[in-house]
Amino acid sequence: MLTALKNIWAITYRELRAFSKRPIFLMIMFVAPLGFLWMFTSLMQSGLPTKLPAALVDEDDTHVTRQLTRILGTMEETRFVLKTYSFTEARQAMQRGEIYAIFRIPKGTTEAALTQRQPVVSFYTNDTYYVAASLLMKDMRKMSEMAGLAITRATMRAQGFTDAQIMGTIQPIVVESHPLGNPHLNYSVVLSNLIVPGLLMLVIMLTTSYSLGNEWKRGRQKYLYEMGDGNIFVIVVGKLLPQTLLYTLIFWLIDLVFYSYLQFPCQCGIPRMMLWGFLAVLASQGFGLLMFEMFPAQMRMAMSACSLLGVMQFSLAGFSFPVSAMDLPFQWLSNIFPLHHYFLIYVNQCLNGYDISYAWTNVTALVGISILAWLFSFRLTDAFLHKEYRA
Amino acid sequence: MKKPKFPILHVWLDELTELVKDEGILIFVILLPLAYPLLYAMIYNTETQRQLPICVVDDCMSDRSRDFIRRVDATPEVVIAAHCVSMSDAQELMRKREVFGILRIPREFDLHLWRGKQTVVGLYSDLTSMLYYKVEYLAVINVAQELNRNIKVLEHQKTTTAREEKQARWPIRFEEVKLYNSAGGFAAFLIPPVLMLILQQALCLGVGMSMGRSRERFRGLVIPPSKHYKNTLAIVLGKGLVHFLIFLIMGLYMTICVTRWFGLPQLGHLNELLGLLVPYLLACTFMAMFWSHFIYRREDCILLFVFMSLPLLFLTGVSWPGASIPPLWKTVGSIFPSTWGVNAYVRIQGMGASLGDCRQEILVLWILTAVYFLLSCFLYMFEIRKSVGRTLLN
Repeated sequence: MLTALKNIWAITYRELRAFSKRPIFLMIMFVAPLGFLWMFTSLMQSGLPTKLPAALVDEDDTHVTRQLTRILGTMEETRFVLKTYSFTEARQAMQRGEIYAIFRIPKGTTEAALTQRQPVVSFYTNDTYYVAASLLMKDMRKMSEMAGLAITRATMRAQGFTDAQIMGTIQPIVVESHPLGNPHLNYSVVLSNLIVPGLLMLVIMLTTSYSLGNEWKRGRQKYLYEMGDGNIFVIVVGKLLPQTLLYTLIFWLIDLVFYSYLQFPCQCGIPRMMLWGFLAVLASQGFGLLMFEMFPAQMRMAMSACSLLGVMQFSLAGFSFPVSAMDLPFQWLSNIFPLHHYFLIYVNQCLNGYDISYAWTNVTALVGISILAWLFSFRLTDAFLHKEYRA
Repeated sequence: MKKPKFPILHVWLDELTELVKDEGILIFVILLPLAYPLLYAMIYNTETQRQLPICVVDDCMSDRSRDFIRRVDATPEVVIAAHCVSMSDAQELMRKREVFGILRIPREFDLHLWRGKQTVVGLYSDLTSMLYYKVEYLAVINVAQELNRNIKVLEHQKTTTAREEKQARWPIRFEEVKLYNSAGGFAAFLIPPVLMLILQQALCLGVGMSMGRSRERFRGLVIPPSKHYKNTLAIVLGKGLVHFLIFLIMGLYMTICVTRWFGLPQLGHLNELLGLLVPYLLACTFMAMFWSHFIYRREDCILLFVFMSLPLLFLTGVSWPGASIPPLWKTVGSIFPSTWGVNAYVRIQGMGASLGDCRQEILVLWILTAVYFLLSCFLYMFEIRKSVGRTLLN
């Protein structure tokens, strides 16, 4: 036991010395995760994008339409950067990417409204820019609906109805929406919570297979094997322990920045999130190790596999596009990724504050992914003894 | 084989033969651009969320509340997966992730409507995905507005003629048009930028690995000690041309074949696509050659380039609206060809813009091409000097 511990320490010490000689490695370990923490939190500091550029085509141009457009201008998401009489001009501005939406009031709108001939206004959103288009669409729809109701309200007021009666007529059923856990629909809260840990987990996967593979590349694997007395557990733990510690600290720092400094909602308390972060680090290391065992001693193949799958895990975590909407094979595939499980635990614990028993499958999966690599350790032993580096 | 006379051809042929022999580079320059777009397109192939399970808590249990629920159930967006007797039951289903939203109809729903008062229906959405909130809200608000119109004309403002009724229902009609992505689908929005990004990233990985290989083979030098490798221009152009030509084919494969197979937007004509792909790929190639100078081992390129993909996607301003990106990050984004290439591509292919409409992007891409070309030339010049020095020492 004592020798095993000594061996672990010897390998760890050797690893730490190796770090200090590889600037690129250090940069990836420190600068990348912390840089992205800074980048994403400042990139999305507005939370929900507001005042998105749109164009107004007012072909009618009367005091009624101007009143309508003034009201539109007060909406949260919309800012009219272009006012014109020509739809073509607005369409060209859209194709140049200057605006995301066009609100069009055709000629004769006021006349039709005054003579009760049901005018038609139209709005066009550019759905190639999905988020911007969705937000603008919501605003313009609401506005157009309200404009119609305002006409009825004016008529009813003239007829002497009370405001309560009027509201009961023009909008009898009101929908009150409650986006749970994130009432302001702050994109930054959920997106940062997915992307920053996700990038860290990707870095962990890559560096795990990189640092292991480097032994073969330098032809030092036999020496390492002897250092660990042939005990694969000792070797792997000694080799990966410094990274485990370092990445856990970075993960905790991310947690502190999110929940303490930026005050992102955290229903379960920071220590609990730190625990899940630690599990996520272990699972990512397990994933990287597993990939290395699948391609024993082939550092490049293991790293390629890690990067191809690691980049894909952002899509399969299911925040922007839900996993439940994907085809069945991808729903299954999503289960092999640590990020998917970490994200679901985050939603369960941090965002919604539910009991962890509802996410036990995800916790088990994270632990499972960490352990899985040990089941294939015989492949690693084999690689240590018989495999050489292949470029 | 007889050695070609011009150094540029020599370098070109050298790079090509090395590339074909190297399985590691082939994965990045052939397999990755061929397979990854298909994979991504398949992930988002379903385009949008349909029939999302939600549950309903109907405290009213009236004819009218059941009508409301039936209508919500009939929308394409959601499906009523459970009827719960209390909110706590519904919350339990939500915690178990069996439903992703709760629709709550209050006890006074019917009573208030009969009395001509407003009534409030609650919608509680799970935010595991932002799309959940969007589809649930759309489904319920559409039903509520439809019912509101019915109540208005059938119960409060009785009308006599059909035209009057129409007018009362919709004092102002509105038409909403989703341009360029009529289904509001995810694939049509996300895959075009991803295609462009894959081109850039695969190029960086391929060039980076080839550079790492040279460094390993020639003990830290990026060019072999040969008399054909004395001309900076020949080296940069010869090496760059190999990758550029391969990726031009890959670019056409993505923008024409992949988009056609998956029914993605394809409004661009071939000459417009070429007008964009040529400067884009040139800029990417020379940028890759520039950054690769900092790579000393084959595998380093994976460490350096892979995790950049996602941040670069954000910097393009397609997923996160460009208008909301702070100036600092806009500046950072502008040094990468992907930021300009993606925006121009989305407009040409998705919105039918002409090259003239994207002249700013195309111009910047040519400028980036020139800048990165000069930078790579400068670095190679330095390397040639180093190599000559090494030969002299030996």
